[in-house]
Amino acid sequence: MSQIEIRDVSFTYPSRSEPSLKRVKAEVKCGEFILLTGPTGCGKSTLLRTLNGLIPQASGGLLSGDVTIDDSNLSDHPLASICQSVGLLFQNPGDQFFCTVVEDEIAFGLENLGVPSFRIDSRIDAALAQVELPPEFRIRSISTLSGGEKQRVALACLCAMRPRVLLLDEPTSHLDPKSRRDILNILGQLNREDGMTVVIGTHRVTEIAPLCDRVWLMNCGELALDLPVNQAFSDLDPYRDLGVEVPDLAEVSEQWGLSERPITVDQAEKLFLQSNRLSSTSPSSSEVSEYIGHEHSHQGAQSVLASIEDMTFQYPRAASSALRRISCEISEGEIIAVMGANGAGKTTLLLSILGLLRPTIGKILIKGVNGTRLKLHNLAGQIGIVFQDPDLLLQASTVLDEVAYGPGNLKLSHREIHERTTEVLTALDLDSLRNEAPFSLSRGQRQRTATAAAYSLLPDVLLLDEPTAGQDFSHLQQLMTALCASVEEQNKTLIFCTHDAQLTLQYAKRILLLRKGELIFDGQPMDAFSNPELLEDASLVAPLRTQLSWRLANN
Amino acid sequence: MPISRLDPRTKILILIFIGILVITLDSVTSLLCCFLVGIGLIILSFPTWLQYRLLFLFILFSTWGLIYSQAIFYNASPRTVLFTLVGRDIPIIGTMTGGVHVYREGLLHGAIQSLRFNTTLTIGCFIVWSTQPRDLLLAFVKLRVPYSLAFMVTTSLRYIPLIATESRNVILSQRLRGFRYFQSNPRRVIRDLLNSLRPILINNIRRATHLGETVESRAFSPEMVGKQRTSLRTLNMQPQDKVLLAAGIFAVLGVITLKALYFCYANGIYYAHWMRGVYTFVREIL
Repeated sequence: MSQIEIRDVSFTYPSRSEPSLKRVKAEVKCGEFILLTGPTGCGKSTLLRTLNGLIPQASGGLLSGDVTIDDSNLSDHPLASICQSVGLLFQNPGDQFFCTVVEDEIAFGLENLGVPSFRIDSRIDAALAQVELPPEFRIRSISTLSGGEKQRVALACLCAMRPRVLLLDEPTSHLDPKSRRDILNILGQLNREDGMTVVIGTHRVTEIAPLCDRVWLMNCGELALDLPVNQAFSDLDPYRDLGVEVPDLAEVSEQWGLSERPITVDQAEKLFLQSNRLSSTSPSSSEVSEYIGHEHSHQGAQSVLASIEDMTFQYPRAASSALRRISCEISEGEIIAVMGANGAGKTTLLLSILGLLRPTIGKILIKGVNGTRLKLHNLAGQIGIVFQDPDLLLQASTVLDEVAYGPGNLKLSHREIHERTTEVLTALDLDSLRNEAPFSLSRGQRQRTATAAAYSLLPDVLLLDEPTAGQDFSHLQQLMTALCASVEEQNKTLIFCTHDAQLTLQYAKRILLLRKGELIFDGQPMDAFSNPELLEDASLVAPLRTQLSWRLANN
Repeated sequence: MPISRLDPRTKILILIFIGILVITLDSVTSLLCCFLVGIGLIILSFPTWLQYRLLFLFILFSTWGLIYSQAIFYNASPRTVLFTLVGRDIPIIGTMTGGVHVYREGLLHGAIQSLRFNTTLTIGCFIVWSTQPRDLLLAFVKLRVPYSLAFMVTTSLRYIPLIATESRNVILSQRLRGFRYFQSNPRRVIRDLLNSLRPILINNIRRATHLGETVESRAFSPEMVGKQRTSLRTLNMQPQDKVLLAAGIFAVLGVITLKALYFCYANGIYYAHWMRGVYTFVREIL
């Protein structure tokens, strides 16, 4: 029997003329796990908000068709009552809390529902247990939680209200691999053991596919595909056409000409061992490399741009150091990925390279000069940064003005500004958007605009803090491909922080692995991802194709 | 018991009492006493050095601004010129304004106004810095502030550090793109600074929309709040809270009574010979 029924649902936001959902029809059985994917702006978030009544009750706009949960039409109930059946978890854990202490946050929904105080206590404990957090977490301050812990607390807030349906909008996009794995394990348990129906909107198809029963692929507000998971990936072209990530192992099997499309390492291992495409003995190193792909040659000696010498940094009033005895050199023409768990010190390292943080011990030299002695505006043209939230960099009225702002401040001639702006806009595929207002663009386009604005000064070193957060697969590929090509051509240096192993393997020539502020590895990405112990140590998870290669090598 | 553990209702009521006192009192001595009470509360709540620095800067700028402006623009009588900044015979400004002078009474009036302002500011900082937002919310609700309003105030407190970080990053991004505070074109500086408000403003609007959605997804509804909302925690007044509140009420009622008696004496409504000492005390001290 269907628990959720979506009947011919169309929805148009108040300020728009085009509908964001177009005659969507679907059913979800009780206890099913649905993977909802599609390109940015396809309507995933809108559909999820429709399923918990936020649309149209809080948003306004025009909704036609019906959504029923357990045969009860959502339009007949106020939002406060729908919350008891349907919980919605949002993308950014930091933006969904209003209290300062965990127990208050979890109690908030229960207090609103009028649950008596003595029952609230026990339901907080139960909810924390469901998300595998100890009871001591009740009195933890929200600001001291890591990204993964915050997302678990947000999930506990929903579990405390005991919903039958759990909707999640990109719940793992801001988390490190270990936290992502933990959250997904919890979701799997809530689905299997507590029988909760789960609908998860995500760009991370590879990661979620092994958990799900059905796959919904959306495009331009329509449900383009609704199939059981064992049939959903038999043809990968619809996903590729929309720029959606395809399951890593399914892609590998397609590349190897196999008919089945595995989504777990176990399935893939069995399939590959059964097939005749691999020798019965262990695969050669070139075969394994081909699986993993993207081995980069290390460049010869280049001049050193920044030198970090035995640096330790501790934030004021922090219990421990954010960075400990870091030593490394950054040279011209390098593309470096900085990886590590949330709180490992990645952003602190970037800010240190900028000279913003004065090392507690040791020093940073930028082109031989102590970084903390340089004036920030004098660094313009030498170092550029794009923060995790690209919007913080956008301040002009048009994309063109945004990109031209930096070169204008460098007092270049009009001709030079024009040439440089045109070159960067073309390189990052923003030429057609040059007269658009930056804040009217999609998240991916805003990220590219912010990157173009920082890159238009042609800095010797460009720093990107988590360029993957909230980006869909195709936008990310587009951005990184264009940027890396341009960086290589101009012999500039690119340093990016990321949790995305595939991105690192694909683009980085060097990787810095951090664990609790310590640099535990500095070398080629291939070497790091061939070492399971090292990855475990850095709370990283290898891409599935890498895990497969390890398994096959062991066989 | 540390002063920060006082019931938040007591802290808010102390602020209200002192607010009434600083309006009622009008001598530098008595207002200085109120200000010192505020400083004492701040010291006893053990703030960080950053908070001390912040408070010091607030007090410095407000005192300077108020005293300076009152000293120059004081227009009540009598007024005594202490010294002249621009003489009346100086062309244009002097002839137009009749001279710019610093007045003794203006300085005194500015000092009184700044003490009033800084006392309430100091006690406001004491409340915010020494109280968990969740306790503040409960206190507002107990004091019958509408829940939606109390919730909005306490939630906004939580986001102040985040907004400060974002603002810092916006300025940082601009400076790394070559923006200089000090350059030959001040119009450009002002334009760039105004433009830097854009991302901060837009991010805050987005965040507010998002928070609104989250709140509604967690069964919050202004209509339901008064009717059936329960609370995990409750506030209980301790004896020391009651003592402080009693002292506060006594001080406020005492000052108002003394001021009323003085008002009656000064306006010829009532005079008692045995209260001459009281009249002198009110005139000289209060």
